[in-house]
Amino acid sequence: MNPNDTITQLNRRDFIKLGGSAATYFATAPLTENVFAGRQRRKPKPKNIVLIITDQQHFDTIAAGGCRHVRTPALDRLKTSGISFTQSYSANPLCSPARSAVFSGRTSSECAVQVNGRPIRSDIPNLGQWFSEQTDYETFYAGKWHLPRTYTSTIPGFKVVNTGIGGFGYLCDTVMSRACEGFLRNRSQTKPFLLVASFMQPHDICEWLRLNMNDPAKLRYPELAGALPELPDNFEFDENEPDAIRQRRRNNEPFKGKWDQEHWRYYRWSYYRNIEYVDAEIGRVFQALEDSGHLDDTLIVMTADHGEGMGHHQMVRKSSFYNEAVRVPLLFSWPGHVTQNKTDAVHLASGLDMMPTLCDYAGIQPPAHMRGMSLRNILEGNASPAREFIVSEVTNNTGRMVRTESFKYITYKDNQTEQLFDMKADPGETKNLASSSRHASTLAEHRNLLTHWEARLDVPSSVPNSDTWRKARG
Amino acid sequence: MAKRTIVGEPLTPSLLKELGAIESLPSTPAHFHPGREWVNSYRIWTCHGYRENGNQNVGYLRIRRVRDSDKTFKLNVHEEILQTDARVGITHGTITCRNDAPASLIRWNVSSRLLGGDGEDIPEVLAINNGTPDEGMDSITGDWCLFEAVQRLSPDRQTSLRFDLLEGMSLVKLKHTLSYRGVHPINIHKKETSLHRFVQFGSGILPTDYWLDPGHRLWIVTSMNKAYILDDRAETLFERDVERARASYRNRAAQRKSKQ
Repeated sequence: MNPNDTITQLNRRDFIKLGGSAATYFATAPLTENVFAGRQRRKPKPKNIVLIITDQQHFDTIAAGGCRHVRTPALDRLKTSGISFTQSYSANPLCSPARSAVFSGRTSSECAVQVNGRPIRSDIPNLGQWFSEQTDYETFYAGKWHLPRTYTSTIPGFKVVNTGIGGFGYLCDTVMSRACEGFLRNRSQTKPFLLVASFMQPHDICEWLRLNMNDPAKLRYPELAGALPELPDNFEFDENEPDAIRQRRRNNEPFKGKWDQEHWRYYRWSYYRNIEYVDAEIGRVFQALEDSGHLDDTLIVMTADHGEGMGHHQMVRKSSFYNEAVRVPLLFSWPGHVTQNKTDAVHLASGLDMMPTLCDYAGIQPPAHMRGMSLRNILEGNASPAREFIVSEVTNNTGRMVRTESFKYITYKDNQTEQLFDMKADPGETKNLASSSRHASTLAEHRNLLTHWEARLDVPSSVPNSDTWRKARG
Repeated sequence: MAKRTIVGEPLTPSLLKELGAIESLPSTPAHFHPGREWVNSYRIWTCHGYRENGNQNVGYLRIRRVRDSDKTFKLNVHEEILQTDARVGITHGTITCRNDAPASLIRWNVSSRLLGGDGEDIPEVLAINNGTPDEGMDSITGDWCLFEAVQRLSPDRQTSLRFDLLEGMSLVKLKHTLSYRGVHPINIHKKETSLHRFVQFGSGILPTDYWLDPGHRLWIVTSMNKAYILDDRAETLFERDVERARASYRNRAAQRKSKQ
């Protein structure tokens, strides 16, 4: 047995035993020798780490990544100074569940965060708790948390720099990024820190949908008619989709409001403005990093909790396994260490990778039972075998997605309609191959991958539908 | 779950009245002149997209115009935003502008600070931002400056400004326009009034509508889910909201402590 496994198992037991006071335990318990034995051989360690999270950001919204409809100087700069992944997936395309995976390295069902507004279960340490215990980084958090409260001034393992205002990214992201600016400008050069800057935008598109649902035939600003972006190639949808998706579409504003194509395009135009808004706020954080002399010594990571439908398949918002909702931006930069100006279209990445990757950079072992992997070798251009697959979950533990190099498999509880897409031949996910006899073996292989994946998980029985996935389709 | 009706349409003065965000049209003092000295205070009101709940004041903005010279003026700006757990973000500054159409920038001194849940200052996050526009940026103005400039613009279909925006005196947002969009009637307390409307477009913002009263005083600014509403009580109402938030924060902290 790996000596570190002993320690992480011990920690986990202690978390269970201590329940709600587990955070206190982590802040005060002495480190044992085994933890030090588990420290990795010396690899360069960034003095600081900044993790930037946006909320509901479609993966194709960075100008330097080829998006023609936005101006994103801050994200462009981050992209060209490091690596961006084009095949990065949310572990669950909904706010709290996605965040539970990012901050714990465990699946949302394991965290018992199957819906919004639930805390990570108390025996699983979050990033702040783990770093506070295992490293010399001081850990700070600014902005949206949502585990369980959207904003809070008390987050286990973190000192909270600032909170925010639920549902109003347009206002609170500015106050939050100004606080981050002050924090960075005033911070001593000698004290290493981990700062999470978690923005609400472009999530305000949810309010936009509610404030623009009706009267679609009348473009509110006629002068925009010539400036609206086109509809996506996969705007039409498959009438034979699983019920879960059809219901979600029917309940959304575009169908209630009977939108025409111009209104769909106006929605896309508005979403891009929200992207530009959050890019500017991220730019403020970068500027403060640069002005304070922290930039060269800081590993910067940027991702989103989940994506945004943006009219693909006539979907809006999240909670679907189509790429637009489940795929997310993922960018890393650390001058002189992370490969510069590289787009990685080969490796699959997951929100579950955040915890092991940041632990790797901090020179520590991650907690036990990580479901993702460190991306460090990939980031630094070292040989790294492609992983076989990643898995995502969906709201209330009712669905699963398996993404392999070439295919995506989707299944929902109590639904006979499965989906299988050839992601190379059909990246828009328009032709469901699940009932094609030619793909029967591929379908079986993906079901099998899911069965084996689920068998490894430690999902509390209190989580709805936990049995469903333990007995996944064979 | 309580009934929630989707608002369905963008914010306008008429809709704000329906949603209870405004009660009456404030009277503009007879001596008000956009190019002289004045103070405008605005409630910052937000809409979550439902008629019944989630719509609230979250802060206030006070702008004072002070004469500086024949060619310049100063804006003293003070904005406070209330956040979760009774934190208050405060931005305060003085902006010197040219007395031209977009109130283009000459220099600014702006600070942002944060108060904690008990009203204590958090010095670690104080940020000070003093500056002048980069060379070559002749037509650059600030978002707060537009609150002043729009009052001096002619209500004429030909009126259209082009400029770059320095939002909050710190974030550059390029290629903005501000254009006149005509007169819009509103009925308040059985009194019909006509409002002048200007619209701003540009990168990094959603369209922003400026609604001016017949005396050319800026009454309301709407942009997506937020509205700035001229209201002499703005600061007093905000102080009351902050006190309530602090009491609630203290209660929660006490409950947490008693559970430990």
